[in-house]
Amino acid sequence: MRPFADHPAPMPNLRQKVLVRNIDFFYGSSQALHNINLTLYDKRVTAFIGPSGCGKSTLLRILNRIYELYPGQRATGEVLVDGENILAPGRDLNLLRAKIGMVFQKPTPFPMSIHDNIAFGIKLYEQLPRSVLDDRIEAALRRAALWDEVKDKLNQSGLGLSGGQQQRLCIARAIAVEPEILLLDEPASALDPISTQRIEELIAELKSDYCIAIVTHNMQQAARSSDYTAFMYLGELVEFDETERIFTHPQEKRTEDYITGRFG
Amino acid sequence: MSSEHIIKSYDEELRRLNNMITEMGGLAESQLAAAIEAVIERDSELAANVVQGDNKVDQLQRELDNLAVRLLALRQPMARDLREIVAAIKIAADLERICDYAANVAKRSIALSQAPPVQPAHALPRMARLAQLLVKDVIDAYVARDADKAYVVWMRDEELDEMYASLFRELLTYMMEDPRNIGASTHLLFMAKNIERIGDHATNIAEDLYYLVHGTPLNEVRPKGDNSSLEVVAPGRGPA
Repeated sequence: MRPFADHPAPMPNLRQKVLVRNIDFFYGSSQALHNINLTLYDKRVTAFIGPSGCGKSTLLRILNRIYELYPGQRATGEVLVDGENILAPGRDLNLLRAKIGMVFQKPTPFPMSIHDNIAFGIKLYEQLPRSVLDDRIEAALRRAALWDEVKDKLNQSGLGLSGGQQQRLCIARAIAVEPEILLLDEPASALDPISTQRIEELIAELKSDYCIAIVTHNMQQAARSSDYTAFMYLGELVEFDETERIFTHPQEKRTEDYITGRFG
Repeated sequence: MSSEHIIKSYDEELRRLNNMITEMGGLAESQLAAAIEAVIERDSELAANVVQGDNKVDQLQRELDNLAVRLLALRQPMARDLREIVAAIKIAADLERICDYAANVAKRSIALSQAPPVQPAHALPRMARLAQLLVKDVIDAYVARDADKAYVVWMRDEELDEMYASLFRELLTYMMEDPRNIGASTHLLFMAKNIERIGDHATNIAEDLYYLVHGTPLNEVRPKGDNSSLEVVAPGRGPA
């Protein structure tokens, strides 16, 4: 048994990108997260699994402070990104969210052209000459494995794409602003199996440049695409370890029961 | 198996897998017992039955493999469930091999009973009884998911190795004394080797069970009681 749930095998070669320290979270007066501690490594994928309502999406929403869009929600504790506490007052949230991109369960393309969907985010942060902007858009679409499918129809609406393409468009939009961290909240759960595999392939591809956190209900997906897995239950981090260990011989009975389908 | 799955049919399939291993284990024990009785009683009819009976085990193993592959494909098992299924596949292969060895012993007993009785044959039933005990204990350990009991089997295989080594020397001496013993002694030697191999497969099963229970491999170095493979024999002098 390892002494701390938030300490998987020490990884001297990996850079600690995000340190979550003593996080509590409240929706009004009800506490949704209890003293969460864990580390996200750079250039690695960390998966969050657990039954609905366990707090995994909530935790993801803390990492870019998107929860603040809603009244009555608050987090205490620290989230250190490259050593800086992003929960501290006075942080520029737009810059923060450019550094930490997010993709949601349902594809959320803007009702505008494919080109503008991606240009929109870039223009918020940077003034670029047209040619540089176009290069950046092409690079993002290529990185999201969508370029070949849309290069001849960049001026058509993003809403005309299939669900899987829309989701890759959203990923392209997120990476176009050159973030360092990608948060994926159930990015493939509304997609067909082929699109799901494309997204998984994309995650594997993007891993070399980003620190990625993914929330998923699909355990095989977590097992396949992540390096680390956190199992959460009732707002607590039950176990956090290398993915291989979590899915072959987890240390906690609750983890074992959940991943083997024994949860009552 | 611990608490139940949300999907009941999954539990039923895992139970079936479990029962098939137990059944194969029971067959392995009885095949070995019958083979050795055929040796002692020089009973060729019984020996032929053992050789025949091997089909049943082969068929069970094929059924088990099909069920295990089905479970892997349809249930996408994780953690302990995954180890249950992988262990069952490996244990079934070992049990099938054990039964093959029992059938080999039976087959050779038919030839052996054509020749006059040879004196060292008395050591063979003793070896077989120990092998049978190891198989029985490891299957009992499997049923109880008792890794400690499996560990004892794993350690005790050394005794079987020692028995084999001493029978090997005895047979060599016997053959050198009188070349007319060579035919029967060679059969006995192969039978002893078959029984010694049964012990090795029992230790494999013990290792699989250990992994099933603990999730980590049993990777101590096992004591070896048989150096007969290093033996050098030259005409005119006995084995070292």
